[in-house]
Amino acid sequence: MNEARQYGELATQLVTESRRSTQTDTLLKYNDSLVRSIIREQRDLEKVADVLVLATVNSANPPPQLMIIQTAIARNKRCLLAYHNHRIQFLCTLYWSLGASLPPLLSAETTSIRAKLSPHEVDYLRSYHTSVMTFRAEFSHELDITASIVQPPKELHVLVNVVRDCGVIQTESGTIDFRMGHRFMVRRSDIEHLIVQGYLEEV
Amino acid sequence: MSHWEAQYQRSKNAATLDDDEADEPMPDIDLEELPGYQTPLQQLTRHWMNERHAPDILPAQDVLLGSILDHLRRQSETIQLLRGDPSTSEEDHMRIMLAQTEVERVKFIVRSYVRTRLFKIEKYARHIIANEEVQTRITAAERDYASRHAHLLDRHFHSSVLQGLPESQTALDDSPKLIMPPMVTEPETTRPVFAHALKNTIARTHRGKVADMSRGSLMLLPFSAVTDQIANGEVELV
Repeated sequence: MNEARQYGELATQLVTESRRSTQTDTLLKYNDSLVRSIIREQRDLEKVADVLVLATVNSANPPPQLMIIQTAIARNKRCLLAYHNHRIQFLCTLYWSLGASLPPLLSAETTSIRAKLSPHEVDYLRSYHTSVMTFRAEFSHELDITASIVQPPKELHVLVNVVRDCGVIQTESGTIDFRMGHRFMVRRSDIEHLIVQGYLEEV
Repeated sequence: MSHWEAQYQRSKNAATLDDDEADEPMPDIDLEELPGYQTPLQQLTRHWMNERHAPDILPAQDVLLGSILDHLRRQSETIQLLRGDPSTSEEDHMRIMLAQTEVERVKFIVRSYVRTRLFKIEKYARHIIANEEVQTRITAAERDYASRHAHLLDRHFHSSVLQGLPESQTALDDSPKLIMPPMVTEPETTRPVFAHALKNTIARTHRGKVADMSRGSLMLLPFSAVTDQIANGEVELV
């Protein structure tokens, strides 16, 4: 371990990153190297603690040094978990705001998000999506619980501009080919997910 | 049946459809006159508001929700049928549109209600699977979701952090509770809420204080003081 560094300094950096992410409302790239160094620090601390425990096995009171090391271990671990939990929360919020669909998060087109994730996070999102879809199936005869809950619907129909081509879509009044630059009056519930994902724009 | 009669029949159908939509009770029993009677939609709206304001998960309303979902499905089917019928008059189309809009708005409330519960279930997943009392308050589907979610989170923490740590540190829960807050997030039941009394009732805080709530009064109380009153409908959160 680098002697010039205080216990837990790296973990503080990690938590600062989470805080920065919250304040700027952006997802930062997964800091793999920092996470690895903290895990290394944990192993080193554990070794030091083991030596201390063995050396003082006969004395009644544990040495103060051991207490400090254990506190550092516990704190580092909590910081690591907090960092990962914070990222997961952020991703889930993003997932729901995109209408509970994975492609915008994980597709190759939108590399900006995918490149910031760790492989475990990609796995997590996939399983999370499966879990949400299972729950959604409970209501599939009546409604789609993953649709937007931001604005209560005031009107049935909505006038939209096509911002990006999204091909032929089935709607209540037949199929519509949404081409860029065109304008359509459509039923809101048919195309709401396309507005959320940025293909269409309300006029 | 002549064409005219068929037409008449249909407009009558459309008219009852509108009535149903407003969730008005059948005229034979005059429930509206009873004090405190609420239509299913009003009940759902109240549960929805309570759920959104309460820090803890409230008892599931599966019977109410089920009947509303059935109603929504029947209503949508009727609308589809009437829309497809070429002899539906212009005026009926107007009525159908109103009914359709109302269906969308009811769906919005159902969605928001379900999602509010889902949000809490995700947040307290580990607390729920360890606590049988909470499990009685949620539906089977929600219970499955909670255990799936807790399992997912465990697996993620394990694969990205815990498996790299020395063996003595790989447990998710920390034993030195004295210096660390617990790992399991629990609902903060002492959080203050605005409680609106629907009937005369009494609220008891955990410190043994008693507050008289007369009908219509509005009070700021810890959630735990009014939990039971919310469950039996004496109090609503606003």
